[in-house]
Amino acid sequence: MITFEKVIKEYNGGQKSYRALDDINLEIKDGEFVSIIGPSGAGKSTLLKMLIREEVPSGGQITVDNINVPELTDSEVPYLRRKIGTIFQDFKLLTNKTSFENVAFALEVVGADEEQIKTDVPKVLRIVGMDEKFENFPHQLSGGERQRIAIARALIHRPKILLADEPTGNLDLLNTFDVIKLLMKINEFGTTVVLASHDREVVNAVGQRVITMDKGKVVKDQEQGKYTI
Amino acid sequence: MKPTKKNLMRVIEVGWINFKRNSWLAFGTIGIMVLTLLIFVGLVAFNIVSRTTIASLEEKVDITAYLKTNVSDDQASEIVNELENLPEISYVNYVSREEALEEFKKRHADEELVQQALLELGENPLQASLEIKAGETAQYASLVSFIEKSDFSNLIDKIDFYENSTVISRIQKISSGLRVGGILVTLILSLIAVLVTFNTIRLTIYSQKQEIEIMRLVGASNWHIRGPFVVEGALYGIIAGLAVLIIFYPMVYLVSPRVQSFIPSMDLANYFSNFFGQMGLLVLGSGIALGVVSSVIAVRRYLKI
Ligand SMILES: Nc1ncnc2c1ncn2[C@@H]1O[C@H](COP(=O)(O)OP(=O)(O)OP(=O)(O)O)[C@@H](O)[C@H]1O
Ligand SMILES: [Mg+2]
Repeated sequence: MITFEKVIKEYNGGQKSYRALDDINLEIKDGEFVSIIGPSGAGKSTLLKMLIREEVPSGGQITVDNINVPELTDSEVPYLRRKIGTIFQDFKLLTNKTSFENVAFALEVVGADEEQIKTDVPKVLRIVGMDEKFENFPHQLSGGERQRIAIARALIHRPKILLADEPTGNLDLLNTFDVIKLLMKINEFGTTVVLASHDREVVNAVGQRVITMDKGKVVKDQEQGKYTI
Repeated sequence: MKPTKKNLMRVIEVGWINFKRNSWLAFGTIGIMVLTLLIFVGLVAFNIVSRTTIASLEEKVDITAYLKTNVSDDQASEIVNELENLPEISYVNYVSREEALEEFKKRHADEELVQQALLELGENPLQASLEIKAGETAQYASLVSFIEKSDFSNLIDKIDFYENSTVISRIQKISSGLRVGGILVTLILSLIAVLVTFNTIRLTIYSQKQEIEIMRLVGASNWHIRGPFVVEGALYGIIAGLAVLIIFYPMVYLVSPRVQSFIPSMDLANYFSNFFGQMGLLVLGSGIALGVVSSVIAVRRYLKI
């Protein structure tokens, strides 16, 4: 479970500070698929960054599985991040590594052994439908395929939560819906998915809980919502 | 993730790869480290040389009081008795005219001309003398003035002493000056070496931005992220240290015979051979310390966890 309680985030940009999140109160249960929508600058990315402690709140409480996120020490943060997979609009793949190596990298850097890499990486690549293109480098893949590799990497630690920040922002319609379908499939397996997007089509296609944000505030929280402006 | 052996190998491997990628920067970084370590080792060597020189000169310092030719052996032994009672004096030796002559003849045994001249002279031209050693170098000056003012001063022809003492004080002054200078230069160079290494590591961090971002994202432990950069810094230090040993030791063997011809008691080659292990540790240890300190600072400043 994820909870936000009276969360405030102020960025210090030069002299004046900017309030990107203003009194956020939320509860996301295990296994939910939550879409967060809102115009550019609403604070969607900031909200997701709080969950992996990329940013710390200026006030309020955030918990993930009863872990008090802002209170974690630097050495505890990596364990939090292994529980939460993350994907982005720009994929963040290493350009000099193949599909297989990009996913394997996530295992190597937490000290997994060869054995585990050899069994887990093909398995997760199969889940995202990329079992044909292990040896391709990112520039030899379509945008949708790249995002699948990124999703495979996010899944490699079997996270309980998957954060997707504008995952379809760089994709055409066909690829967009492929990726959304994949996220829904992952959600059906029991992973909590939090999707940030400003694309009405995407959110409507998911057809689940929709949280609408504007100017750092939650302005609407609908079960089975449809995106309205 | 605990630092197991396999993980450690990976961290070292990545550090080594970073190091190889940076080869030109690495060259400059190691260069400045070598310079720093060389000056440092030179300072250590110089300290040893100056200390040995001073010790050997102090050993040699003594007062030679030449007695007038009319002083009898009895009078001489009275003076010896009186001097031996002084607490400052550690050693007094009386050399009679006959002994002095024997000694002189022995020393010039091969020289026909000298022997000839002695024979022609007929009588013993040498003076009896007292060799006096004090417990400490600083006491010589007061001893000399004591002897000059004593009631047996009229039996003494002249006192030989001043030369050595001025040489010693001059060496002491030069060596302490050089030591202060050496320490200062070593400190300044260390600072420059740390800055240069720091900058190299910073550039590696920038070139690895993508990898670091992903490592953080997928929950790599902090030492997995930071470790390779610290390994890279340590590698610069190790290579610089080895280079310094490779330069320093042949130099010592080259210079050693020359130094020994000035100061026979100083066998640099032998000395540094005996302390090879300690020197190796000192040089490599300082190199690693320079490299690790620099990379730790760079990582702390530029690597977000
Ligand atoms: N590091 C930062 N420093 C200062 N201000 C920031 C920083 N990051 C974000 N902001 C500001 O906080 C506000 C919210 O940003 P955020 O990225 O969360 O918006 P968003 O809803 O994700 O927008 P988009 O849909 O364009 O991605 C914006 O006005 C942005 O300028
Ligand atoms: Mg955003």
